[in-house]
Amino acid sequence: MSYSTFNRKKFDSLQEPMFFGENVNVARYDQQKHPIFEKLIEKQLSFFWRPEEVDLSNDRKDFLKLEEHEQHIFLSNLKYQTLLDSVQGRSPNVALLPIVSLPELETWIETWSFSETIHSRSYTHIIRNIVNDPTKVFDDIIVNEEIAKRAVSVSKYYDDLIELVNLYNTLGLGTHHVPERGEVVVTMKTLKKALYLTVASVNVLEAIRFYVSFACSFAFAERTLMEGNAKIIKLIARDEALHLNGTQHMMNLMMSGRDDPEMAVIAQECQQDVINIFVEAAQQERDWAQYLFKDGSMIGLNAQILGQYVEYITNVRMQAIGLEPQFPTKNNPIPWINAWLVSDNVQVAPQEAEISSYLVGQIDNDLDGADFDDFDL
Amino acid sequence: MTTLISDTEHQDRTVHRVLLGKKQVLVTEDEPLLPQLERSGILVEYQCREGYCSACTIKLLWGKVDYPIEPLAWVNSGYVLACCAIVKSDIEIALL
Ligand code: FES
Ligand SMILES: [Fe+2]
Ligand SMILES: [Fe+2]
Repeated sequence: MSYSTFNRKKFDSLQEPMFFGENVNVARYDQQKHPIFEKLIEKQLSFFWRPEEVDLSNDRKDFLKLEEHEQHIFLSNLKYQTLLDSVQGRSPNVALLPIVSLPELETWIETWSFSETIHSRSYTHIIRNIVNDPTKVFDDIIVNEEIAKRAVSVSKYYDDLIELVNLYNTLGLGTHHVPERGEVVVTMKTLKKALYLTVASVNVLEAIRFYVSFACSFAFAERTLMEGNAKIIKLIARDEALHLNGTQHMMNLMMSGRDDPEMAVIAQECQQDVINIFVEAAQQERDWAQYLFKDGSMIGLNAQILGQYVEYITNVRMQAIGLEPQFPTKNNPIPWINAWLVSDNVQVAPQEAEISSYLVGQIDNDLDGADFDDFDL
Repeated sequence: MTTLISDTEHQDRTVHRVLLGKKQVLVTEDEPLLPQLERSGILVEYQCREGYCSACTIKLLWGKVDYPIEPLAWVNSGYVLACCAIVKSDIEIALL
């Protein structure tokens, strides 16, 4: 079968599975097989924000005052996040749109991926504001070995799925000879397995891979340093929690067999692979913490505490999709991070309230206490 | 045992027991489980506090909870989203 941008067949999309059914034709949302994806679209739209709303002029001054090893921590995290959002800004579209079969899920994928492009744009905004030559920072992402290792892990399942789907769409099911790859078996089973592992790997990306970086950003902000950056990270974290919700729903729906009975069998067969994907990612994140702190720690954080946090959060994420926690860490070693991650802006200080779900003007960092004298709280 | 108590404003309020290991916390139906646990000194993981991130998922060993608004997060049976669940009977919970 080959992909059609407007499938001319008449069929009931409420009877289609999430993936590998009919190509979507009419983008309609009056009826939904899985209403959760429509709700996620609405929520994501209500979260819309623009990086330029956050003023970073104080961050520039702060950055110059940081010690060299702290600058290393800060810039390395930005580079890693840039990698992750580069992948996420395109891959859900490229890998999943050709095989999705529900209009609400198709639009969720596009909305999700679009929000990742805002994250990427925010890194340019941050880097442009704190260093004189952004090129140096961006160019290092491709050559930095620590980042390259992670690039392989976050893209390989996507790439496998894309390759299989390309073969399926051009040559159909069967065993195909691919130059430099040999025989590739394309069956519904191998396609669905590649899909399941891709969703599992993206779930882990959204669930775990940002959190070392988030913790460092908030640890700087706890010392009232790089606070504009922390505001941006808060907005990104809020989006990522929603993306995670989306992948958790896909995983849980697949595992339950409620969407596609064959997917439940595949999920069962792949359970150990999924556990391994979690454990491998946790290990990589712990290694990343070691790399960040190789020349020195920062106040309130070190590689060991961050490693425990990675294990803890991995346990939490595994439980959310019905898997047994794999690490002994039962408590959050940095509970203060949750107050930063919380997205509710009603409960925070008036200055913070300017980060909101709707468009606001540029946030002015130079307001001092006197500016709030007129406020009745 | 779930009890009815009359508070100072002469309102009848239903109070339920929440068992967590050897600890016991009394909660009302006036607000979700999470803030009531926090006030009694029990740290529960959270992030969004509005039902979409699933970070506050805890085990529900027995008892009844209810969601005034259906949360966006997926909740498996035997689990409860602490940030938006209203306790409806005596319950026993377990953290990670
Ligand atoms: S804190 Fe996010 S779902 Fe409860
Ligand atoms: Fe992102
Ligand atoms: Fe994301």
